[in-house]
Amino acid sequence: MTEPILKVNSVTKCFGGLTAVDDVSFSVEKGEIVGLIGPNGAGKTTLFNVISGYYAPTKGSVVFQGNDISGKPPYHLAGVGIGRTFQVVKPFAGLSVLENVTIASFLKHPKKADAERHAWQVLETTGLADRAHLSAAGLTLAGRKRLEISKALALDPSFLLLDEVVAGLNPTEADRTVELIMKLKAQGLTILIVEHIMRVIMNISDRLVVLNFGKKIAEGTPAEVSSDPHVVQAYFGEEAA
Amino acid sequence: MKTSRGAAILAIITAALLILPLVVHDTFVLRVLTEGIMWIGLAIAFDVIAGYTGYLNFGHGAFFGIGAYTIGILMMQAHLPFWVALPLGGLAAALTALIAGIPTLRLKGAYFAIATWALSRAIQQLALNVEFTGGPDGMRLEAFLNPLFFYYLMLITVGVIFLILWYLLERAPFGLKLKAIREDEEGAKALGLNPTMLKMQSFILSAIPTGILGGIYAYWITFIDPSSTLGDLVSDQAVVMVVFGGMGTLFGPALGAILIFAFKTIFWAYLSDFQLLYLIILGALIAISVIFIPNGLWGTLVKRKAVARPQQKPEPASEPAALSAVAVPEEGN
Ligand SMILES: Nc1ncnc2c1ncn2[C@@H]1O[C@H](COP(=O)(O)OP(=O)(O)O)[C@@H](O)[C@H]1O
Ligand SMILES: [Mg+2]
Repeated sequence: MTEPILKVNSVTKCFGGLTAVDDVSFSVEKGEIVGLIGPNGAGKTTLFNVISGYYAPTKGSVVFQGNDISGKPPYHLAGVGIGRTFQVVKPFAGLSVLENVTIASFLKHPKKADAERHAWQVLETTGLADRAHLSAAGLTLAGRKRLEISKALALDPSFLLLDEVVAGLNPTEADRTVELIMKLKAQGLTILIVEHIMRVIMNISDRLVVLNFGKKIAEGTPAEVSSDPHVVQAYFGEEAA
Repeated sequence: MKTSRGAAILAIITAALLILPLVVHDTFVLRVLTEGIMWIGLAIAFDVIAGYTGYLNFGHGAFFGIGAYTIGILMMQAHLPFWVALPLGGLAAALTALIAGIPTLRLKGAYFAIATWALSRAIQQLALNVEFTGGPDGMRLEAFLNPLFFYYLMLITVGVIFLILWYLLERAPFGLKLKAIREDEEGAKALGLNPTMLKMQSFILSAIPTGILGGIYAYWITFIDPSSTLGDLVSDQAVVMVVFGGMGTLFGPALGAILIFAFKTIFWAYLSDFQLLYLIILGALIAISVIFIPNGLWGTLVKRKAVARPQQKPEPASEPAALSAVAVPEEGN
């Protein structure tokens, strides 16, 4: 068996007295889609921020492709192949959609003309090409979520962190995004995804990691996890009630 | 606006400015033009950090004054020739930006504006209180009274500054990277950009030409003192010119510099007893531009230039292009 692309080793992240992520360990194999689920406030976004370098872990470590990356800044991690989206989208509002994606393309294409060409390709892939000249501020929520994915993809990452890119979309838009994610997987991208919509996460994930109050309470295939009594009680129980 | 037409207009203006002194011999006119050109340079240099990077530097005048004093001290006390002293004036401004940038560039918005303003006041106080600057009495430079020389020196220097900044900010990736920092510093980090590094580079890029212009100014005017070169006016006017003309562009601040400087010249020629009124109008102009033309004059007049969408299908060889062959269904709304 090959070395996992990402290893999260006993990661703890505290904000003052609050333990947002509590001794969480799991790993992601190359080419997998792993879903990270859990109720609101479970610590999913915080864990993303630790993996992508926005927070240093209070305890534990993150190993990416065999290298300890804990505490490395985000711009360094983008360079080694980690792309991420933000749950609260961060468009460069005053710039065009194309400029937004071109900026990300500079990472692998230092010449402006090359970066622009690459950005166009990404926009064709994500279906934003016909809105390339719109100001990013003028996009709908669906467009802005798609722009988040476009920017992360323009880094040509080997590992993608997607934080609620489907939530808030109507069913047609949601299906398009799911379709896009499956295409990315088919290309060989490894993906860690946070999503609330069960229909989506159960379908696209090879494995699931379940957080509750910062702790990992279950891990396994979607079928295993959905029959796990802890999960049913902590998470699905909440929905059934 | 078509790039070729813009370049043609620019070439005509440059040519006109180059031959102008052959037609106009009035030294007063030449002097006004020299100063006007200097203000174009100061405004576009200010816009590197303020407009492109989004950090309103209310201490821009300090770079100007430090350039002026460096040239003054090096020429009068170290007896260096002007051409040796001048680049050192740019270097002194760059060092000032480096040292001032470390604490201040961590601050955001109004806090950065206040901190840079306070720092520039401190530098002015320093110049007033140490010996080698001549204190409040200022410093007289060896006079080289050749208006034509200074007109051409200013014109060529500002022309070169414009071309270098235009290349770095509008042609090279650097300008877009700075705008990413301006729009969302945290988001930019995820895309591989190091905001600390970019902000420092932009601050230094703003400081160097400002210091050089201060140096030319000192040699030209032959007298500098803390209130004329290190005072508020340089920063204040640069802010008005850039905000009024259009931030985050090069033509906007240039246009703003021309209009504000022309206004100032006319105002002071006819209403020199009402200098306070001039400052009030300057302040009102900032408020009016921010409220009614947030993109400035240039941003309101000229639409964003569109980059053409490539006609042929992207190469199937490269990675994301493989996907684009598969049609993605159209989005709902
Ligand atoms: N920067 C922060 N400072 C303080 N508390 C935070 C911060 N970010 C998140 N938290 C807290 O950490 C917990 C986990 O939040 P988050 O990771 O956003 O959860 P999720 O993404 O699973 O909904 C919440 O209680 C939240 O209020
Ligand atoms: Mg979250």
